[in-house]
Amino acid sequence: MMNPWLRALVYALLICTVILTLTAWSIWFERKFAGRMQSRLGPTFYGPAGLAQPIMDALKLLQKEWLIPETADRWLFILAPPLTVILALGSAAVIPFSATVVAADLDIGVLYLLALGSLMVIPVWVAGWSSNNKYAMLGAMRAVAQGVSYEIPLVLASLVPVILAGSMSLSDIVRYQMEHGWFVAWPPGPGLIAFLFFLPASLAEANRIPFDIPEAESELIAGVTTEYTGMGFGFLYLAEYLHTLIVSAVASALFFGGWDGPFRPGLHWMVLKTLLLFAGIFWVRWSLVRFRSDQLMKLCWRYMVPAGLVLVMSAGLWVFFRGGQP
Amino acid sequence: MTVLGSPNSPELDQLLTASFEAELLEVGGPPLVPAPRHFELAKTLRDDHGFLIFGFVVAVHFPAGQAENAAGSEELLRVIYGLRTRGKGTQLVTWQVNVPTGGAVPTLVPLFAGADWQEREQYDLLGVRFDGHPDLRRLMLAEDWEGHPLRKDYAIDTRVHPWR
Amino acid sequence: MAMTQTSPVTAGWADPYLDIEAYDPEADLMVLNLGPQHPSTHGVFRLKLYLDGEIIVKVVPFAGYLHRGVEKLCEKLTMVQLPPIFDKNDYVSPMMNEQSLVMSFEALLGIEVPRRARYLRTILAELQRIASHLLWLGAFAMDLGGALGGGSTLFLYCFRERELILDLFEELTGGRFHYNTHLIGGNRHDVPVGWDPKVYAALDVIEARLVEYEDFLTRNQIYIDRTRGVGVVDAELAMNLGITGPVLRAAGVDHDLRRDAPYHCYDEIDVRVVTATAGDCEARGTVRLGEMRESIRLVRELLPGLPTGPLGARKPIKTPLAEKASKGHAYACVESPRGELGVYTIGGGDNKGASPYRLKIRSPSLHVLSCLPYVLPGQSVSDAVAVLGSLDPIMGEVDR
Repeated sequence: MMNPWLRALVYALLICTVILTLTAWSIWFERKFAGRMQSRLGPTFYGPAGLAQPIMDALKLLQKEWLIPETADRWLFILAPPLTVILALGSAAVIPFSATVVAADLDIGVLYLLALGSLMVIPVWVAGWSSNNKYAMLGAMRAVAQGVSYEIPLVLASLVPVILAGSMSLSDIVRYQMEHGWFVAWPPGPGLIAFLFFLPASLAEANRIPFDIPEAESELIAGVTTEYTGMGFGFLYLAEYLHTLIVSAVASALFFGGWDGPFRPGLHWMVLKTLLLFAGIFWVRWSLVRFRSDQLMKLCWRYMVPAGLVLVMSAGLWVFFRGGQP
Repeated sequence: MTVLGSPNSPELDQLLTASFEAELLEVGGPPLVPAPRHFELAKTLRDDHGFLIFGFVVAVHFPAGQAENAAGSEELLRVIYGLRTRGKGTQLVTWQVNVPTGGAVPTLVPLFAGADWQEREQYDLLGVRFDGHPDLRRLMLAEDWEGHPLRKDYAIDTRVHPWR
Repeated sequence: MAMTQTSPVTAGWADPYLDIEAYDPEADLMVLNLGPQHPSTHGVFRLKLYLDGEIIVKVVPFAGYLHRGVEKLCEKLTMVQLPPIFDKNDYVSPMMNEQSLVMSFEALLGIEVPRRARYLRTILAELQRIASHLLWLGAFAMDLGGALGGGSTLFLYCFRERELILDLFEELTGGRFHYNTHLIGGNRHDVPVGWDPKVYAALDVIEARLVEYEDFLTRNQIYIDRTRGVGVVDAELAMNLGITGPVLRAAGVDHDLRRDAPYHCYDEIDVRVVTATAGDCEARGTVRLGEMRESIRLVRELLPGLPTGPLGARKPIKTPLAEKASKGHAYACVESPRGELGVYTIGGGDNKGASPYRLKIRSPSLHVLSCLPYVLPGQSVSDAVAVLGSLDPIMGEVDR
C-alpha cells in the first residue's frame, strides 16, 4: 500500500479538485434544469449549452472587490466563508464512492458526518454576526435555530441505517445493503421513513428551500450573505451547493446502497444516485415556497422529533426480533 | 358619473341643506357645509345613513380672484370630502368645507381611520391644516421640503435644493 | 377638539401612534427598515418596523418615494394630453387609469360615449384585470418563496400567460404596456381583423393554466400555513379605512362597483362578485383567483356581442386645446384590480379651461397600505412580507 501520508495527500487533492469541479458543474445542471422547469432556457451563452457558465461565474466573482463594512468584525468576516467550504469538503472525506475509492474509511463515519454538519452552523452564524447588519443578524439567528433544531431529526434518521447495519462506518453500511437490500426498500417501513426524515432534515441543515429562511431573499435581502461580495459570497454560495451534494452522496450511501447496482457495482452507480438525488432536491427547491421560521421549528420539534424517536425504537426492535445481526 | 350641479342625490342635498346649513353653490359642485358642522355631518352620514366606506379628501386652492373665488379678495382653500355606502345601489355623498383663513378644518380621523393619510397628503401638498389630527406630517414629500407644491402660487418648475 | 380617541372601529386593532419610548423598557427593540430598496416591497416603499425579536411591535410606513407630482402636472397639461401620463399611475393596469380619467372628463364635459366604445372599454377592462391579477399572483409567490426558488417558477409561468394578453393589447393599440388608447369621448384604436380568435385562444390557455396555479399554490400546505390567518383585515376596518376591491371582498363585504354602480356596459351583463369571509392572505388570494375566472367568463360573453357603430363621440383631435371646460366638478370611478380608482376633476384651469383646475386621483392602493399599522403588529417579519404581497399595492398610484 502507498505511504499513508502520500495517500492522504492524493485523496485530499482529488477531493478538492474533483468534488469542487463537480459542484461547479452541478450549479450549471441546476440552472439548466430550473430554466427548463420555468419554461425558459437557462444559461446558453458561454460555451456549448452554457457549459462554461460556472467558469465565467467563478472568474466574475474572483475579480470583484471584496467590500468589508467598516463596522464589521474584520477577521471573522473574512474567515467565515472559507470555513464553510472547508467543513463541507471535510465531510467528503468519509464518503465511500466505491469499494476502494474512499478517502478515509472511518469506523465512526456517520458520527464524523453529523459532527461536521453541526459544526457547519457556526461559520454561518459568524458570517451573519460579523457583518454588523440587521438583516444578516436576523438570518444568522434563524440559521442557528434551524440548524441546531434539525440536527436532532437528522441524527435520529441517520441512526436507523446504523442500527440496521450494525456499524457507523459508511462503507460497512453500503456492504450490508449490498448483501441484504437497500435500506430505502428493506426492511419495509423504517428505512423509507428514515429516508423521508433524513432528506428534509439535511435540507434544513443545508439551508435549501423550503428551509432557506437564513437566506430568505424576499424577506431578508440576502440574509446571512447580505454584506458579502466577490469571492466571499462565492464561497458561501459554493458551500451551500457543496453541502447539498454531500448530503445527496451520504443519502445514497446510507439508504440507496452506495456503489451497489443491478450489474457491475462501482463508482458510476454512486455518482448516478448522487446526481439523481441532487436533481430531486432542487426540483423541490424550484417548486415550493418557503416556511415561516416558527412553522419550521414546529415541524421539527412537534412532529419530526417524536416521530424520529419512534422510528429509532422500531428499527431497534426489528433488529432485536430478528435476533441480532445475521 | 357626476356633473355640473351637485353630484349628490336630491335627498342627500335636502338633508345637507336642511340639517347642516349647507348651501348649494351656483358655480356647481358639492354643497358647501360650514366648518363647525362638518364633523357632525360626517358622523350622521356614517352612523345613520350607512356611508361606511371612506372615499376621498380633495383640497383645492383658489387664489384671490380665480375660478370659484372670482369674487373673493383673499385666497380660498376648500376641502371636498366623499363617502360611499356599501353593496348594491352604492351611493356617493360629497360636500365641501371652506378652510377658515389661517385656521384649520376639524379632522375626521376619529370617525374614519382612512382620513389619516388622506388629510396628511392634503396638508403636504396644499398646506391645509387639520385640527386634531394625531400625526400631521408630510406624506409624499420629504420631511424637510419647503412649500406646498399643489398651491397655485408654487411654480411647477420651482428649484429644489440638491439632494444632500 | 381634543384628539386622543381614534375611531371606535380601530380600537380593537394595533395602535399606529404607539409611543415606542414608553413601550416595555425591558424589551430590546430593533428597528428594521424594510425598504425602500428591498426585493419585495412592490416598488419603492419604506416600512419602518420596530421588532421585539421577530415580532413586530409598531409599523411606520413611509410612502412618497415615487411621488412625481402628477396632480400638479395635470394642471399644466391639457385634458387631451393627459391619458398617456395616467398610464403610469397604476402601471400594472393602465387601462383602468385611462378609463377613470377619461370618464371623469366626459362627465365634466357632458359627453355621451357611443355604445361601441363603452363595450370595447368593458372588454379591455376585464382583460386588463386578468393581466393584473396574473402579475399579482407571480409577485406574491415570489414574496413567499423567493426569487431563487419555488416562487420564481410561478412568477415566470404567470408572466408567460400575461404575455398572451399583452400581445393582444399590442395588436390592438400598438403598445404592450402603456396604451394611450382612450380618448375623451371614445376609444382611439379599433378591434383589428382576426383579434377575436386570438382572444379566445389566449383565454383558453389561461383558464387551463389557472387550474395548475391553484394546484401549485392553494393546495400546498406550506402556502396554506403561510397565508391562513395571516394579516386579517376585517370588514369594519377595511371600510373605515376606505379599502375597496379584493381586500374588502375578502373580508366578506359584497361591494363591487361593476355591479353596484355600473359604468361602461356593465349594466348589460351579470357580474358575479367573488367574496370570501376570512379576510386573511389566503382569502385575498382566493378572491383574486376567482376574479380572474370571472373576468375570463365575462370576456367570453362580451366579445361576440361587440356592437357596430362609431368609436368616438368627437371628431379627431387636432390640437391639445380641443376640449375645454370652464367650470364644474366631476368624479368618476372604476373598479380597478385594486379597488375603487377614482378621478375628481374641477374644470376651468389654465389654457382657457383646456386644463383641469384641480385633479385628484383617488388611488385604492393608498388606502390599502394604510391598513398596515393596524394589521401587522403581533406578526413576524415573514408575515409582513406575505401581507404586503397579498394586499397588492402599486406604488405608482400610491405616490403618484
